[in-house]
Amino acid sequence: MPIDAPSRRSLVWDIYIRLFHWLLVGLLGFSWWSGERHEMEWHRLSGYAILFLLIFRLYWGFVGSGTARFVHFVRSPRTAFAYLRNLRTRPYRATAGHNPVGGWSVVLMLVSLIAMVTAGLFAVDVDGLESGPLADYVSFDQGRVAADLHGLLFNLLLALVALHIVAILYYLLRLRHNLIGPMIHGRGTMPVEQATDLPVGSPWKALIGLLIAAACTWAIGFR
Amino acid sequence: MTISPSFRRPTLALLGFSLIGLPMLAGPLTAAPAAAPAPKTAIAARQAGYKKMGAAMKALNDQLKNDAPAKAAMVAAAQTIAATARDQSRLFPAGSGPTAGVPTDALPNIWTDRATFDGQMAKLVAESGKLVGIVNGGNADAIRAQAKATGGTCAACHRQFRADS
Repeated sequence: MPIDAPSRRSLVWDIYIRLFHWLLVGLLGFSWWSGERHEMEWHRLSGYAILFLLIFRLYWGFVGSGTARFVHFVRSPRTAFAYLRNLRTRPYRATAGHNPVGGWSVVLMLVSLIAMVTAGLFAVDVDGLESGPLADYVSFDQGRVAADLHGLLFNLLLALVALHIVAILYYLLRLRHNLIGPMIHGRGTMPVEQATDLPVGSPWKALIGLLIAAACTWAIGFR
Repeated sequence: MTISPSFRRPTLALLGFSLIGLPMLAGPLTAAPAAAPAPKTAIAARQAGYKKMGAAMKALNDQLKNDAPAKAAMVAAAQTIAATARDQSRLFPAGSGPTAGVPTDALPNIWTDRATFDGQMAKLVAESGKLVGIVNGGNADAIRAQAKATGGTCAACHRQFRADS
């Protein structure tokens, strides 16, 4: 690939994806802190906020901006392995949005987050004093299993987050490609042919998604 | 509902190994009263008791989430908590702490600060006894308040005397 391949700056991540990402970072930290401190009222509220974000993200994965859509970034394992092999060729040439391996990392993180939040909804503490909003649908023992799963899944998520950060550092230091900036301001350099046809999600569709997420979260957490 | 792996476990295990010889030496000299159960039996019994109380507390709190809580279920739960609470304090014989050789979250200060521990146990017996009376009264708001007070005594004692695992 020629070094002076035509490229330009363009929107990579829309505002909804960036807000999702950074709010999730903050809420995960807060959830961990409140859980450790047994501040369960705060822990539950933080979990509801994450649930809200996840529902919106799933919705946005179908109707959102180009790079947000699952069809854009969920690629076949074969494509992912081919991408890994091509990482050795220099210079590294960025793809718009999630690359074929990063897409799978996002899928794994989303699945673990959904599983962790779901387990939390049914979790019961060892004293029967604190519980998730749906714990009255399960027995004490089942609620305890949910609580253990909730903790195990958090550890899995920590591992995935660590991998995520290591990968970002690898791109930054070895491939000289900054993935952090675009997640903050939204714009990045990419090949022209990819930069031109990124559909941006409409604000109306986003509003509908926010309402759906709020309604679902309300129905589960505050019934 | 903590999620971090307990960092206390290795410490407790080390403590356990270093102290494990002591009860054997002290055994013949200071024989426990006949009524006190063997440490391992006591640990199993009190853990079963706490589990029963936890399940009953959940059953009670589940009812209190409803606008029209079922009284019979709440009475049964409150009675389980009160009756089990009365049995628990005698299930902490000497040697049934971290040195017992079976997993227990009971902290050593139960035995070094026994008066405080017994005071907390007495508080639980008092609050859970009160709970039975108030549940029988049938006023949902009063039951909520007393369930919270009873749970508060559980939590306060656990913060002091139970490993946060």
